Amino acid sequence: MLDFFTIFSKGGLVLWCFQGVRGPAATAPVNALIRSVLLQERGGNNSFTHEALTLKYKLDNQFELVFVVGFQKILTLTYVDKLIDDVHKEFRDKYRNEFQQKGALGLLNGTFDFKDDFMRLLRDAEESSKVRAPTVMKTFEQSLKSQKTVKCMIETRGEKPKEKVKNKKNKGSKKEAGTEAVAAPSKASVGDKQLSAAGEKEELTKDEILQKNREEFFRRHMKAGEKSRSPKPDAQKEKGKKPRVWDLGNSNAKVLDYSNSATNGSAEAGPVEEFDPDMALGDKNREPGRLYDLEYESDDEAEEKVVQNPSKPSTKKGGLGGMFGMLKGLVGSKSLTREDMDPVLEKMKDHLIAKNVAAEIAVQLCESVAKKLEGKVMGTFTTVTSTVKQALQEALVQILQPQRRVDVLRDVMDAQRHRRPYVVTFCGVNGVGKSTNLAKISFWLIENGFSVLIAACDTFRAGAVEQLRTHTRRLNALHPPESHGGRTMVQLYEKGYGKDAAGIAMEAISYARNQGFDVVLVDTAGRMQDNAPLMTALAKLIAVNAPDLVLFVGEALVGNEAVDQLVKFNKALADHSMAQTPRLIDGIVLTKFDTIDDKVGAAISMTYITSKPIVFVGTGQTYCDLRSLNAKAVVAALMKA
Amino acid sequence: GMAGGLEPDLAALRDLSGPAALSVLLALVAVAVTFLIWRFVQGRRSSRKAVLLLGLCDAGKTLLFARLVSGKYRDTQTSITDSSATYRLSRDKSTNVTLIDLPGHESLRLQFLERFKAAARAIVFVVDSVAFQREVKDVAEFLYQVLVDGTVLRHAPALLIACNKQDVTMAKSAKLIQQQLEKELNTLRVTRSAAPTTLDSSGGPAQLGKKGKDFDFSQLPMKVEFVECSARGSKGEEGDADLEGLEKWLMKVA
Repeated sequence: MLDFFTIFSKGGLVLWCFQGVRGPAATAPVNALIRSVLLQERGGNNSFTHEALTLKYKLDNQFELVFVVGFQKILTLTYVDKLIDDVHKEFRDKYRNEFQQKGALGLLNGTFDFKDDFMRLLRDAEESSKVRAPTVMKTFEQSLKSQKTVKCMIETRGEKPKEKVKNKKNKGSKKEAGTEAVAAPSKASVGDKQLSAAGEKEELTKDEILQKNREEFFRRHMKAGEKSRSPKPDAQKEKGKKPRVWDLGNSNAKVLDYSNSATNGSAEAGPVEEFDPDMALGDKNREPGRLYDLEYESDDEAEEKVVQNPSKPSTKKGGLGGMFGMLKGLVGSKSLTREDMDPVLEKMKDHLIAKNVAAEIAVQLCESVAKKLEGKVMGTFTTVTSTVKQALQEALVQILQPQRRVDVLRDVMDAQRHRRPYVVTFCGVNGVGKSTNLAKISFWLIENGFSVLIAACDTFRAGAVEQLRTHTRRLNALHPPESHGGRTMVQLYEKGYGKDAAGIAMEAISYARNQGFDVVLVDTAGRMQDNAPLMTALAKLIAVNAPDLVLFVGEALVGNEAVDQLVKFNKALADHSMAQTPRLIDGIVLTKFDTIDDKVGAAISMTYITSKPIVFVGTGQTYCDLRSLNAKAVVAALMKA
Repeated sequence: GMAGGLEPDLAALRDLSGPAALSVLLALVAVAVTFLIWRFVQGRRSSRKAVLLLGLCDAGKTLLFARLVSGKYRDTQTSITDSSATYRLSRDKSTNVTLIDLPGHESLRLQFLERFKAAARAIVFVVDSVAFQREVKDVAEFLYQVLVDGTVLRHAPALLIACNKQDVTMAKSAKLIQQQLEKELNTLRVTRSAAPTTLDSSGGPAQLGKKGKDFDFSQLPMKVEFVECSARGSKGEEGDADLEGLEKWLMKVA
């Protein structure tokens, strides 16, 4: 039933492999597993689907082994988890010598003849799953129902039925009450209410109920007689219908007109204020005209408090056992268990969330680190905290490393050689800084000698086109055509407001091709990820124009929202694309980085979700505030206490 | 109580006569010197005895490693951690080098390079000659990152570019690969130095080769050689690998 089962070392050597009956080669799916799960720190849950196969895996962190089993997706095999565990234990015990040799020599020289053991374990696992046959249904004679006499199940009026559900009784009574009561429907509802109230305690017979209801009804009618007199004075009142008089509304429209008094410039009509200059200005000692700096407490005190708190729980460990454990941990040869790591991971997770990493991503990251460290033997003089921190740091650096090349200039040169413009599209939600960073990037490109065409495809926001025009003018002033051999380095392509963005983009690209521009930067309108028609429009723009680079602009201040934004943007792009491999977001521009001190978690959230690199980082509003991401610095800021 | 108990001992220490005090001092100095010598020797011994196997994913590093160390063919998967083993040079039994196979995956390669670059006496950069045409930009980028690294420039370990997978007919020759890499690195010099600086602006990347002239591997401070090899071997899994050039170079370098 299994397609394959491989055992390989983390260094890449396949130690043993079992090919199932019709299984294709195991390398491709396993490589996909490694690349998408293990290397991207998504190792939280241990199963992964690749085309038609489901892959389940287990890591042995002590000897650095990986066990992977693959079977068809449509099958649900219950014995797989147990099989992996059994194989793991047996394999490890059998070849312990080879693993304990230093370096890879043991692995290379050892022969791992595991087939017989594996077949035995597989047979055992399959047997154990078959043993629990589906439970046989009880025969009629065995059930309780056959023991009831027929007589008791017949429902007769006036008799107390045994073991009947309260609801059924109510329903039955309701029906009967409804057919009989011709008068006000209140009777039936009264009857029901009474019944439901009394249902638990007594089982009233139907006749008694009816009797009660009739009494109620007569009682009501007595009262109703009195009540009928009260509508009469109302009727008398209705004859003379007078207009309603409001307290404040006696005046007519003229008095309500305040429009004359507050016209611009006329100072006489306004009410005289009691102006207290001292209260308005506040600080008596200020120098007139000076702008003071923002005062804030220094961070040292805050840091001290934070440092003190974590040390408290660690001192709780007491007793002789605790001391022995600590000593053993210091000397080494202590393997990490889940219980050891959990408190540390909890703390790290809270720390990450405090640094603005999205909550679900922090959870997944900690899960993945736990999986990677479980069973690992710690070195000498290392504590659990330091091991976990080290592993988390490596995981974070790994996430921030780009999975593909980040070299825009190189790709622009390539496109230049092929005589076509390099098209970059900026997308994102409202107010993240798309237009500002577009201007910064065009400045950088111009500095490197490439001519830029800016396509104003934001046809919705008021002033969007004017903003880009101002930027174009400034950039041309900074880099006049004279200093670049007579050609305008940056130009704006716009068609005003209200037009279709995708159409403008297409025209802009063909204009750039005709005029020989090197780069086209397409600015789109900001849109919320939940706004379906706008997301469709964006997806259409990208699908139709096939840009070389789709950049998602996200601000560093965003917290958990980042996950939602990116997921929905990618989904929209994937859904509306006609192609086999849809164009998704290729890179991220992280803006407003100067507004966060060291709460740099948004970088992690965004790269984790998309697995795409952060291409640019915006650190201000001038043209020079464009940076590249330094993974180590960001991780250092994240791990700082 | 306790303080009173210590007092006579302290007094005794202070009353030590000259030669006794001198011997104590000498003992301390001897310990310190031994410690320093031990650190120095250890540092010397462990530094730069390693030959690193670098390259992109699927270049064939792990198989090359297996062939060199054991001579056998093994199936391989994408490595997620390093493997190291001692490689005995066939003729001279006494010298041996530590071969370290580093993962080539993008998210891991720089981390592992950081860890092992200080110990590198020589670097073997494995290139997939079949997929080279498609991957030339990625190969050049990784090679560039290795070459501008500060530690690498300082120690200048010998560099061998092993053009692997020569058993396939479509494999490119070493000469072609050299030319293409030189051209690509030439362009990369310009684009990489023009990239926006990183956040903490720790200085721009070092200059590769000579300014003004087209990039050439001879401009580098270390010795660079190109060699063709095939880890799989022309006879497939049963036969031997075709690693003559590589082994000769290793013997030269060790």
